[in-house]
Amino acid sequence: MTILEAARALRAKQVSSTELVSTALERIAALQPKLNAFITVMADSARAAARRADEELARGLDRGPLHGVPVAVKDVFATKGVRTTCGSKVFADHVPDHDAAVVEKLAAAGAVLVGKTNQHELAYGITSNNPHFGAVRNPCDVERIPGGSSGGSGAAVASDMVFMAMGSDTGGSIRIPASFCGTVGLKPTFGRVSRYGVMPLDFSLDHMGPLTRSVRDAAVVLNALAGFDPRDDTSSRQPVEDYVPGEDVSIRGLRIGLPENFYFDRVDPEAAAAVRRAAETAQSLGARIVPVRVPDMAAMNAVGRIIVQAEASAVMEPYLGEREKFGADVRALLDQGRLLAATDYIHAQRLRRLMKQQFAALWKQADCLFTPTTPTAAPRIGKLTIEIDGAVEDVRLATTRLVRAINVLGVPALSMPCGLDRQGLPLSLQIIGPPFREALILRVAAVVEAAVRS
Amino acid sequence: MTDWKLIAAARGLGIPDAEMEKIVPVMDALEAGFRPLAAGIPPAVEPAVIFSCAPEEDER
Repeated sequence: MTILEAARALRAKQVSSTELVSTALERIAALQPKLNAFITVMADSARAAARRADEELARGLDRGPLHGVPVAVKDVFATKGVRTTCGSKVFADHVPDHDAAVVEKLAAAGAVLVGKTNQHELAYGITSNNPHFGAVRNPCDVERIPGGSSGGSGAAVASDMVFMAMGSDTGGSIRIPASFCGTVGLKPTFGRVSRYGVMPLDFSLDHMGPLTRSVRDAAVVLNALAGFDPRDDTSSRQPVEDYVPGEDVSIRGLRIGLPENFYFDRVDPEAAAAVRRAAETAQSLGARIVPVRVPDMAAMNAVGRIIVQAEASAVMEPYLGEREKFGADVRALLDQGRLLAATDYIHAQRLRRLMKQQFAALWKQADCLFTPTTPTAAPRIGKLTIEIDGAVEDVRLATTRLVRAINVLGVPALSMPCGLDRQGLPLSLQIIGPPFREALILRVAAVVEAAVRS
Repeated sequence: MTDWKLIAAARGLGIPDAEMEKIVPVMDALEAGFRPLAAGIPPAVEPAVIFSCAPEEDER
């Protein structure tokens, strides 16, 4: 069941919020030992919120499609009176005195928060193999990583624990778990969704967005979250739109850019073929496929890594006196950031401006781009390298290779399932759009999703 | 190439030798990819970071 289906069932009185939330809590209890998707489950407050939602709906107070629907947020989002660990031993007992803007907005939309999802430590990695709260496991194959850093959110949505779980994305951390778990994941434009109340990994690269079971559900959530927030310096005043595609939307005449360089290099042939099939599907529905050449995305990835490392190390340096409180991989990344020169960081932010200009020229040729999200399906837990087309690559660098640059550019991108590989693992399509054109990429995604599902 | 071990020691970062051995090749590779890019930036290009003079909430 999707958010929109649940919303219809709630209004038709076929189900109550109390029942939806009870089902969610039962499913979490049943699957938590296997998947470890949650750090904190908020059963009591969720049941109370569900009862409130039922009462409000019964007396005609309708807050929209999220009203009464059980959801979760990654444990980087501050929750008033509920511990917010960021997946870290350093913050294991941190209880905020305020809610993150995203949590406020979900509450205002009537969504019922059932818990806080597990993640890669400090949102700084892609395995969600958390040394303090245990490894999150992929519902498609529990011996494989769910991706990260929002791995618990991906696992919780893919296993039907909740209808939606929020993630944060600094270098792919929404799109990677969406790809590996077979869900939709939306990283909106930088500034579209407030970062207020989210434990920062990187001030200038962090994006907040939903993981959902359908494209339209992601749009429903964006409708609830988008908008200016004066508490976030990077929040945009760009007007918001209705992001939910209509039932009869078309992509006829739309120009879909299919990169000739970079995005299909060192990609598993099955993953590449799935994306090309999605492009053919879009073409059969009236879109025009336009071959494009993208700028130097490897250079953008290098710039992204410098920015991530410098900013994350600045955030976490006060805590590095207790090195044993960090997992080995995160500690190594934080140490790397402390070795960079100030000029490296400034140069990276200057290059970012130039690269944004280069990439913007692409939108004269295409309305959006189709690429793979990840070069492979989910790797096995504990694997440090993967072999793609005969080349051995570090798992983290390979997995972030097709997504990290998009955070440097700040443009919106969505990951959605587009097939299964021979082992039955999800493969995914990344749709990248111009700044603040979330409505466009959601429309394209909804049309492709409908075609793929039929 | 940069002597990362020397930098770590000079800054008193307290990174154990065994961990430093793993960090050095990663930093070398990152530097090799990044420094040529940085060398080509025209002088007038400003960083893409945001600062606003507008008073913040707690200053109002």
